[in-house]
Amino acid sequence: MRALHPDQSGYVDRDGVPIHYEVFGSGEPTLLLVPPSPITHSRIWKALVPYLARHYRVVTLDGRGNGRSGRPTDVAAHTRTENERDIVAVLDATDTAEAVVVAHCHATWWAVDIAAEHPDRVCALVAIEPGVPYLGRSQPHWMEAARRWDDVIENASGWALCTRHGIVNEHRKWVEFFFGAQLVEPHSTKQHDDAVGWALESTGVILAASEEAQDAEPPDRSEFERRCRELGVPVLVIHGDRDVCQHVERGRAFAELTGGELVVIEGAGHLTIAREPVRVNQAIRTFVDRLKGSDVKIQHWTRGLSRRKRALYVSSPIGLGHARRDVAIVKELKRLEPDLQVDWLAQDPVTHVLKAEGETIHPASRWLASESAHIASEAAGHELHCFQALRNMDEILVANFMIFQEVVEEGLYDLVISDEAWDIDHFWHENPELKRGSHVWMTDFVGFLPMPEGGEREEFLTADYNAEMIEHVARYPRIRDRAVFVGNSDDVIPESFGPGLPKIRDWTEDHFAFSGYITGFTPPDPGDVEGMREELGFLPGEKVVLVTVGGSGVGRALLEKVIDAYPIAKAKQPELRMIVVTGPRIVPESLPNHDGLQVHGYVDRLYRHLSVCDLAVVQGGLTTTMELTAAQRPFLYFPLHNHFEQTFHVRYRLDRYGAGRCLDFATTDPDQIADAIVAEVGREVSYLPVEIDGALRAAELVSELL
Amino acid sequence: MRACEPIVEGHVDRDGVTLGYQVFGGGEPSILLLPTWTVIHSRFWKLQVPYLARHYRVITYDGPGNGRSDRPLEATPYHHSAQVAHAQAVLDATGTSRAVVVGLSMAANWALELAATDPDRVAGLVVICPSVALPAGRSQRSDHFAPLDPLPDLPPSAVPAGGRDPAAQWAKYNLEYWRKHHEDFLWFFFGQAFNEPHSTKPIEDAVAWGLETTGEVLAAHHSPGAYPDEATVRHWCGQVSAPALVMHGDIDQISPFARGRLLAELINGQLVALEGSGHVPLARDPVRVNRALREFVERLT
Repeated sequence: MRALHPDQSGYVDRDGVPIHYEVFGSGEPTLLLVPPSPITHSRIWKALVPYLARHYRVVTLDGRGNGRSGRPTDVAAHTRTENERDIVAVLDATDTAEAVVVAHCHATWWAVDIAAEHPDRVCALVAIEPGVPYLGRSQPHWMEAARRWDDVIENASGWALCTRHGIVNEHRKWVEFFFGAQLVEPHSTKQHDDAVGWALESTGVILAASEEAQDAEPPDRSEFERRCRELGVPVLVIHGDRDVCQHVERGRAFAELTGGELVVIEGAGHLTIAREPVRVNQAIRTFVDRLKGSDVKIQHWTRGLSRRKRALYVSSPIGLGHARRDVAIVKELKRLEPDLQVDWLAQDPVTHVLKAEGETIHPASRWLASESAHIASEAAGHELHCFQALRNMDEILVANFMIFQEVVEEGLYDLVISDEAWDIDHFWHENPELKRGSHVWMTDFVGFLPMPEGGEREEFLTADYNAEMIEHVARYPRIRDRAVFVGNSDDVIPESFGPGLPKIRDWTEDHFAFSGYITGFTPPDPGDVEGMREELGFLPGEKVVLVTVGGSGVGRALLEKVIDAYPIAKAKQPELRMIVVTGPRIVPESLPNHDGLQVHGYVDRLYRHLSVCDLAVVQGGLTTTMELTAAQRPFLYFPLHNHFEQTFHVRYRLDRYGAGRCLDFATTDPDQIADAIVAEVGREVSYLPVEIDGALRAAELVSELL
Repeated sequence: MRACEPIVEGHVDRDGVTLGYQVFGGGEPSILLLPTWTVIHSRFWKLQVPYLARHYRVITYDGPGNGRSDRPLEATPYHHSAQVAHAQAVLDATGTSRAVVVGLSMAANWALELAATDPDRVAGLVVICPSVALPAGRSQRSDHFAPLDPLPDLPPSAVPAGGRDPAAQWAKYNLEYWRKHHEDFLWFFFGQAFNEPHSTKPIEDAVAWGLETTGEVLAAHHSPGAYPDEATVRHWCGQVSAPALVMHGDIDQISPFARGRLLAELINGQLVALEGSGHVPLARDPVRVNRALREFVERLT
């Protein structure tokens, strides 16, 4: 799912070639983001658009030959002039009198021409890894490619693919090589997948045509240098110093000629907009705000000793389990630190829990892009590939991190608690100078594990993600002032992080403190169970089966299958009663009904029902299954297909407690579910006990930092 | 030892009064740090000078009555128009055609007048806890303010022993008291100025600088017309065209915070509200003040 959808989009017709544009936000000034088409399209800006659109009006376009724009194949259709006319046409179509043009790679050349020919339309230029002729140093592989452009090289690989013949006939091979060469930063798998995917939306014929047209009939050197010198607008150049497409010396020379500022990102390659989005966002913001002049009239600063202690809590919005445990921790924390002010940066559905608890939700929360909607969009049937869902959430994570960072810079927080707030932990390690306050990282699982269906590629990817995280923590131990594992060390799976990497449990024991499990509620004493059943309307002698799928919207398939099993089980066990709770995202009336079956959308304090039912049927999420474990209830659970956390981590933990019966959704039919219900309902169980002081222990670990 | 020594030291004679100035660093632009009330001298900028001088050219001077300047006992050299002329004389003597002008407390009047009447010379205007004749509501100070009354009979200040003085001791702001009990007045006054907890060092510094002059000088400074009235201040505000920054502590007991807020509005300046800070944040919150000054100057250039 995208982090931000455009407020306006459309096409402008350019002599029969449709050019697609999108408009986001409404601030001042307008930023026009120009991709270096046709090797990529406007989505290359995805990590920048949500942030910039919060402050400015942002216009993007797909250059001709890719994205949602037309695909002319003639060389004559891909000249610089045609591209420049497209850009001006988009400015016209979006009623943009003037814009800060943000251009990547060879789009900078177009921007320079437009600034020269339409000086009133360009008020500033941000050139990222600028691709312009003559300046600085040329890369030898490009000079070599130009020399042999017309050659036919059989079985070419690497830079030798860069011929007309190679690009036309080995398009995929070329773009895979090209972006592999550009992404010099380790752990760039997602950026590589993205860039290759966008490139393949175009064709080799178009790419080759544009290569020939882009460099055709260049102005002579002195003319081009004159244009740069006389640009007459503020310029910011951002350049990775390991760029193998445009040498960093080119960026430096361009900045010198135009009198621009230069931000060199050391260790970075050609795609800083994808690989260093936080730094690039902030550099653009600083530059544009300086153009605008400051509109901040009043700044407040409070002396250190005059400040009340403040914490910012960021709770993962994926499922409701985190919200409840985090509220439980905060209640204990406020007991330990009565003067502590806690603000929550939170989104739906966490905010529902917080509002009910009277907690303070930071107003910036309204800007957050929805992570739970993204997860729902990645789910289908009883499947959620949660590792890939997390990878595909990259632009949402950047967008939300940028909001978090503003909040934490303005809020003078003493402490940030992030309960599986991946964006904070990741981007503070990537941009360690941005850290503010102490940081407590909290999680209930450690280590991405590959699902068998993902094959070798997923084994590689999960290990690469784990390796990056391990390197992060080793290099910057100061980013996590405290890491808290919600559970005990025996709960940590004894697998490896991947080839050549440590064992997950060993590493976790070395790097985490353990709070024990946090249920967020105290299970009823056995003596109180009957009274609670009566209170909840359970009749004596009735065997109550509770079916629930949590709040994520993933789970209709399971509900339907279990409902199908209900009449079969009821025939075998007449005292059976089934209560189905759909959660807020599934309409109860949309499910089939049977005699004796109740379907509810929402049940207040569902954990009370769960803690006294005779059987629960649930997905494999940790929160619900551990609540059932703590309450010593029998339950059937169906881990979501391809969900590594439910499949490995949760299952391992439940097996340790001796809790629940794990069933595979795909291979279990309603008859088998009915048999399992009859066998399990009302069964006496004896699981390992679950501690009830987890929230207090976690709060103590946190309060030591206050 | 000083953290940063001047590169130029000199004196300028202005209408018979000799004023000592110092120049630090050599960057662009020049920053003129104005003196303030004679009760202290230019060393009160000691926590700003080394930092600012690393980036800019910094000029400090002592006004008449303290530091390395003469201590006239007649009123004329202390009048606000003379104070502006002193500043211009120092700018001339140091070859400074244009500067960012920074004033604390009473010097806000002089900075405003300079910015309003000599705009080409003022690249930017910074006032900190301005003590100007803009309405700011009643204060404890104004309830007991009687500078021309006979000598009040008051107990010594509790500040030397680490205590706090009651508001009634504002009656010590009295010309006779200054003449008779100069040092006690200083302890009282700086106890009020530095009302943040744990301010012993800035209080001791300020009392010591105060003792470099006399109660007679303070009395000479306090003459009719020495301070511009509200209409004059508002008139200047309307004429200020330079970018402006106001900093003000919200527990300032000498000049209330509301005054800084109003002044910022009148000169279309940026306001940095220092919460929990008193009247001299440059001594008590030097890091924040230094950074705010730098940010402001950087935005000018």
